[in-house]
Amino acid sequence: MSDTGFIQKLPRALPGLALIVITMVVIRNYIEPWMTNAVVFGTKGWLIKATHLNYILLGIIMGMLYRNVLFGGKLPDVLSDGFKLSRLMIKTGIILLGSLYTLNAIVQLGSMAIFLIGGFVILTIIMVLWLGTVFGLDRSMIGVMANALSICGVSAAVATSPAVEAKASHVAYAIATILGFGIVTMFISPFIGHALGLTDLQYGAWIGTGILNSGQVLAAALAFNPNVAPGTAVSVAEIWNIMRVISIPFAVFAVTIWYWAGKAESADGKRKSLGTLLVEKFPVFVIGFMGMVFLTSMGAFGSVGLKGGPPASDTIQMLRLWMTWIFGFGLVGLGGYIDIRELRQAGGAPLKLGLIVGVTKYVLALLVVFAIKDYLVAI
Amino acid sequence: MGFSNIVVAVDGSEASQEALNHAVELARQSKSALTGFFIIDGGWPNFIGNDWQSAKGARQGFLDYIREEQEQQAEAARQQFEAAAEGIAESRFSILAGDPTELMISKANAVDTDLLIVGQRIFQVSGRPSLRSLSKRLAAKATRPLMLFP
Repeated sequence: MSDTGFIQKLPRALPGLALIVITMVVIRNYIEPWMTNAVVFGTKGWLIKATHLNYILLGIIMGMLYRNVLFGGKLPDVLSDGFKLSRLMIKTGIILLGSLYTLNAIVQLGSMAIFLIGGFVILTIIMVLWLGTVFGLDRSMIGVMANALSICGVSAAVATSPAVEAKASHVAYAIATILGFGIVTMFISPFIGHALGLTDLQYGAWIGTGILNSGQVLAAALAFNPNVAPGTAVSVAEIWNIMRVISIPFAVFAVTIWYWAGKAESADGKRKSLGTLLVEKFPVFVIGFMGMVFLTSMGAFGSVGLKGGPPASDTIQMLRLWMTWIFGFGLVGLGGYIDIRELRQAGGAPLKLGLIVGVTKYVLALLVVFAIKDYLVAI
Repeated sequence: MGFSNIVVAVDGSEASQEALNHAVELARQSKSALTGFFIIDGGWPNFIGNDWQSAKGARQGFLDYIREEQEQQAEAARQQFEAAAEGIAESRFSILAGDPTELMISKANAVDTDLLIVGQRIFQVSGRPSLRSLSKRLAAKATRPLMLFP
């Protein structure tokens, strides 16, 4: 089940990548402009205003249609390697996203994010541990759900499972529940954000806290505002998201302690130290992102275009244009990995637990963002 | 009806025991060969495919962990099969790897399969959620004799 390297994959990935690129080019050059100009019910652009669909959500929908409708639930082998590479595209986009921030902005946004994310991670873990016990779920299942619901969905489930001896079937149901919930929130959040008149900062802080899965945070942010620039929804949401991702090794460590404390047998070398977890579970792309922030702060790409400062340099503007395309490609690929058959099979106590905790977190995050809106600082 | 090769899916759990017992009984009665198999689910990398934020170590560690669990399950399936098939002159067991639904359909339609016997909850013990509909899809796509057990 090992993944082969990037270079070996590349020739086999070309057909899938070509389909992804063509899809996004058609969406951005033909479908989105047509939706913007079409007159429906006597209103120009009604399709965009009513549905809040932009190239990001259209790309995800197309990816989902390819897999679940056109190809009957499974991507053909000739395309699957290209779609797999979507992970790399999104990671690359996130690293480039570092060019939106200076170190000063990161400190400002990051300190707000630590406050919100830290609080929500701890509260969510406690809630899942309690509710999971009430529902009589298996202890390892509770451990996986605790981290998956509190941090960032699939990444956290994957990182936690071996540490709490979760069975494959348990992990599968946890992932299906989390992805299903995340997909719903990804599509409804832009509606709610616009209906409530949220600013980019408020919206980014809300979804960065309330949506469970990282890819869906990115998509929901770009669906609300497709612009990639300092102060836009994606620039805020991703700082929140990165804070969550950084907390994975710590949360795995905490949940592992809880898991083994309740077991009759000893950990017997199965429980790993925090240092080992940091090495194994720390997402390397965060280092790339911080490197990009450092280079930006040093002026390597010229002016960032912060509010009140000089306009963004040509290099920065070019990077931002690239990012919109890279994210567009990556999210078509993400859509192609949403398997409706898998999600439809989610059920039972894990689904009940996931829904209760997920909805609570989603709504509570919105209320908290409203409550502290005067303290949120724009960059 | 005479059979020369009866094929049965075995997963080492109770979900495959009744189907296995019936396959053994039928093989004894018809003096046919009995072939058992287990499928290691190769769909996990794709299932977590959009997990783009995981550290490489975490992702590969998870896949290795799942693989280990499935290999243990495969060994349990082998033991379950060998215990049940004791005394049958021609019996063999194999472990396959790949997409369980595709491999099951290909087994069901193979020319040397006279009858495929399957429990409806087969491979759910270590599988992904979509395997819950495996027997339904198998019933829809099988072109040779198929026997499904609840």
